[in-house]
Amino acid sequence: MSSTSNSPTGSNRVRIVVATSVMLTFISYWRAAAVILNDLGSSAFYAGGIAEQAIGKSAPWFVLGVMLFAFAVRAVYVESCSMFVRGGVYRVVKEALGGTLAKLSVSALMFDYILTGPVSGVSAGQYIAGLINDTISIADARGWVPAALHRMFHGTPQVGVNATAVVFAVAVTLYFWWENIKGIEESSEKALWVMQVTTVMVVMLLGWSLFTLLKVGGHLPPFPTLANIHYSNEALGFWKHSKLPHMFGILGLIIGFGHSVLAMSGEESLAQVYRELAHPKLKNLKRTAIVIGVYSFVFTGLVSLLAVMLIPDDVRVKVYSDNLIAGLAMYMVGPQVVRLIFRAFVVVVGFLILSGAVNTAIVGSNGVLNRVSEDGVLADWFRRPHKRYGTTYRIINLIVGLQLFTIIVSWGNIYTLGEAYAFGVVWSFVFKTISMLVLRYRYKGVRNWKVPPNLHLFGVEIPIGLASVGMVLLSTAIVNLFTKSVATVSGLIFSIVFFAIFTFSERVNRRKHADSAAHMKEQFQLQQAESVERETVGIRANNVLVPIRDYNTLNHLKWVLDRTDTREQDVVVMSARISQFGTAAYGLTTEQVFSEYEQTLFTRAVSVAESFGKKISLLVVPARDPWSAIAQTAHNLESSAVVAGPSSKMTTAEQAFNLGSAWEAIPEPKRQFLLQITHPEGIVDTFRIGPHTPTMKNEDVVLLHSLWLKVTREPGLENIHHHDILTEALTRFEKDYGASAREEIVKELRLHADVGPMPIRRIADQVPTVQTPTVQPEPTRFDGPSSPKE
Amino acid sequence: MSLSVLLIKILEYMFVAGWVGSAVVLVLTGVEDVGTLLDKDENSH
Repeated sequence: MSSTSNSPTGSNRVRIVVATSVMLTFISYWRAAAVILNDLGSSAFYAGGIAEQAIGKSAPWFVLGVMLFAFAVRAVYVESCSMFVRGGVYRVVKEALGGTLAKLSVSALMFDYILTGPVSGVSAGQYIAGLINDTISIADARGWVPAALHRMFHGTPQVGVNATAVVFAVAVTLYFWWENIKGIEESSEKALWVMQVTTVMVVMLLGWSLFTLLKVGGHLPPFPTLANIHYSNEALGFWKHSKLPHMFGILGLIIGFGHSVLAMSGEESLAQVYRELAHPKLKNLKRTAIVIGVYSFVFTGLVSLLAVMLIPDDVRVKVYSDNLIAGLAMYMVGPQVVRLIFRAFVVVVGFLILSGAVNTAIVGSNGVLNRVSEDGVLADWFRRPHKRYGTTYRIINLIVGLQLFTIIVSWGNIYTLGEAYAFGVVWSFVFKTISMLVLRYRYKGVRNWKVPPNLHLFGVEIPIGLASVGMVLLSTAIVNLFTKSVATVSGLIFSIVFFAIFTFSERVNRRKHADSAAHMKEQFQLQQAESVERETVGIRANNVLVPIRDYNTLNHLKWVLDRTDTREQDVVVMSARISQFGTAAYGLTTEQVFSEYEQTLFTRAVSVAESFGKKISLLVVPARDPWSAIAQTAHNLESSAVVAGPSSKMTTAEQAFNLGSAWEAIPEPKRQFLLQITHPEGIVDTFRIGPHTPTMKNEDVVLLHSLWLKVTREPGLENIHHHDILTEALTRFEKDYGASAREEIVKELRLHADVGPMPIRRIADQVPTVQTPTVQPEPTRFDGPSSPKE
Repeated sequence: MSLSVLLIKILEYMFVAGWVGSAVVLVLTGVEDVGTLLDKDENSH
């Protein structure tokens, strides 16, 4: 048994079981698609406008072309996921091309991720500022704006669009910075809800646009020929004064394609949600890819096309290039006030999806840097947890600092931001596709699906499909280097700086890790296990599970050790290594799961156990979220109690609710256990997780007894028991609840809920979960010593 | 200039050939996608 004492091998080292399979709560392909579309779909709000500013009125054809090509790029991701469960850029490039190029590819990906925040925040701000200005203009046209305001603004009052966008983007970024510092939980539920609202808007937008087209007519944009491509001053970058772009027809197409490629940003998320997808994974991944492909083609592609067809040329680029969908709403047929209301709806949806993308950018960047850090290419200093919230605040500060810097430097210029953004998008795709090509020849493991078509000549496979996608991406990325000067300069500086940080950190870490590995070998013996089982950990059933996260708060472990005879009952100390959306793209080795931080954490836990002279078993579990990890580990280890410390972010009742929700997700058969949350002042809140006999109030017991007395007086019912009364009452309740008395019952229960001591139920009502967790508090708080045993 | 022209020509060929191949990818995966969507063995919740 693993303990602070000798291990079975006779060594004095402490054995730690390190589970290498992440404990995940699996999601359907609809939810996975919603998570990806929150990022991918947000580009519909700005991609069309940016493309038209660069290459003119034929831009929608390029956006549609990019959205079609995105289907082929998705095929590359499906193949990579069929090889590696965590098939993100870093893992694939490292496998194919080695660590140096992997670091470069992650640098490009980081550029993409970090710019997602500013571009989305600024775009949302542009939509809001546009709505404010247009509303004031309409009000002014009707004489509703006071003359004093007119004089003050020397005309119709208007807000500065770019300044407003900057203020909004900074505010949203700071909001999500704080949320991430506190450690918000991601939810596919929220993503699904945002996409449902967005879908309502898209359906209304398309339906109304088509009706408008039928009513007033419209012309398709000019086809993408060299004669129809009109480059803006910034669209040719380093080739501004060169004849080359005007000499070649197809080069013009590549330039146009390159200026529209940001429309498919967000594809990387496909690899990152793959781990979370429910069985059958590959088929569900393909379904997810189809859903996001069709959705983004219709949303981003068709909306860009309709905007050019319906919004007059003289205002489209001049007024609405930064808020194209808002412009589309204003040029539908119908009363002005209805169009303005619809535009407000567009702005609300834009706010939801673009703000979500700001958060995705922080979460995604944090995830990538965390994993890279685990791989030893970023100094451990970055991963030190926040003292209060336990989050990797230094990484979050770095990301948000860079984002705020970008927002202010760009001063709300969405065109510049979008152009720079495309650099990261296209180069991360290039690295990925080239690596997949290399892996066709180098990777000998299981590959369940391949991008078609593939020719076989003399026993050699020629991956025509994969190579084709790679050629389009590479040619576009190279041309972009010349035509997007801002992107090239900023992208290269950013990538080189990050690459240098990674390389320097890796060298420092290698030396440092050699020392700490030697120290760890002296102190700990790591035992790798695919999954967490009682036998693997070497403990008995009815043990006590103690989750720990912060080495400064181990009071609950002391509380357990003070009250438990470890000869009779095992104590298992676990640390959940959290892997979020956007962070599951990399393979987890024992060293990654058990990093320097875990080493410090367990060293403290062991010294606490030693101070009590008691044994503990140690366990590290990678997980998607801490509640699932605790619930599944308690279930697998047949624990009778989980003892945790209080959270700085939620009440104990909310902690219990979250654990109960995670418990509900575990498939049957499953066992109940006790959750005890110990407060520093000695108070312990106890909850039962899972269905259990409720604790009855005294007046209910009295009522039951008086009913029993009455019933037993009836002839032939002398032998009736108390539980028979309860059975009859519950059967009648079930019947009434399913019939006309339901509303009355609910009304009465609400009265009870308002006065009764049932905080969990109220919290349960506020938390959007499909299933109601079966957690209920014990009626009393134990103010004195209490055994963690059930 | 001639080297630039040559390199641009190479990029153009890559782009065109890539698009032709990608179109084939789209058709083949599109056919497969229809089959995947019609397959009713999983719930969608």
